[in-house]
Amino acid sequence: MAELADIANATIRQEIAEYLDRPVEIERNIALFARTRPLMQEIAVAVIEGDQVACDRLTRQALEEGVHALEIMDDGLIGGMGIVGIKFRENFIFVPEVLACARSMKAGMAHIEPILSAAGVEPVGTVVMGTVKGDLHDIGKNLCIMMLRGAGFSVIDLGVDTAPDQFIAAVEEHGAPLLGMSALLTTTMPNMGRTIEAFIDAGLRDDVKIMVGGAPVTQEFADDMGADGYGKDALACVALAKQLLGVAA
Amino acid sequence: MTKIDKTAYQARLDRITELFAGMVAKADEVSRHRCPYRDRADQCTAAFRCRNQRPPAVTGDPALCGHDGRFDYRPAWETDPSAYARAKHKIGRVKADAARRRRTPPGTEE
Repeated sequence: MAELADIANATIRQEIAEYLDRPVEIERNIALFARTRPLMQEIAVAVIEGDQVACDRLTRQALEEGVHALEIMDDGLIGGMGIVGIKFRENFIFVPEVLACARSMKAGMAHIEPILSAAGVEPVGTVVMGTVKGDLHDIGKNLCIMMLRGAGFSVIDLGVDTAPDQFIAAVEEHGAPLLGMSALLTTTMPNMGRTIEAFIDAGLRDDVKIMVGGAPVTQEFADDMGADGYGKDALACVALAKQLLGVAA
Repeated sequence: MTKIDKTAYQARLDRITELFAGMVAKADEVSRHRCPYRDRADQCTAAFRCRNQRPPAVTGDPALCGHDGRFDYRPAWETDPSAYARAKHKIGRVKADAARRRRTPPGTEE
């Protein structure tokens, strides 16, 4: 049986020793990282530390060295994210750190996507996501994006304070069949309705499905503003995105 | 370039989804007592002003979160039902204005 000392990377050893408490998880992570290449451990550390630049560089390096993309996912990106999940569950880190880790993972996945494409594995669908005009809240939207990307969607993130014409431009530019809008304030929620009306004015409403979400949003509001669907949280967002695009769950 | 088997890749996506789903559920749970913009160092990561923000110990650092952790962050909006009524009215007006505008031939607006 592998032991902690068998793991080459000191940061991984420290993470396991300091943050993991459940014997089954300690054993599983020691077994995983004790057999992985040092470079995979470095990628896992980049994910754990939310270091996008390092994750980008190390994933590219690994692919150039001929490491299989699935090995990078298993031993580096997912391996690191597994520890992130445990640290979050045990309240050692919080939502901002988790989102930074997810962005690092995405930076690594960006190098794997061309390989997927070459192998005929296309994204589940393309989604444009943004928080509406006048609203600077982004946590809910970012959790949705994390989930959508994890489920294999290609996501165009427009960030916060997004005007209707920015949503329209992004949907047109990327040929996205799906748009997701978020609002956290009752005062900005009507801007979802304004954006939907802007799509009608632009003659694009029939070309794109529109889903809405955010703390004050309800199914009733979604119906009022003419959205195609409402997701109450990030899990529902993925299910709704699949449903609206006719993708098997 | 290494090839990827679609089924094997889907298995990884399923694993990532499982991991993320647990995190989202945890985020929902934590948001009952801790602002989701508050990081592990108790710094506020929000890009907007909040009444709970406190000056940082070192000038130039992000503001600190001064919240006492005693409210449920998620339904904070529900404390003002009239805000919902105003939003509903506004959404109705947005739709009505748009419909009226579309009925009005260009160049004949008042």
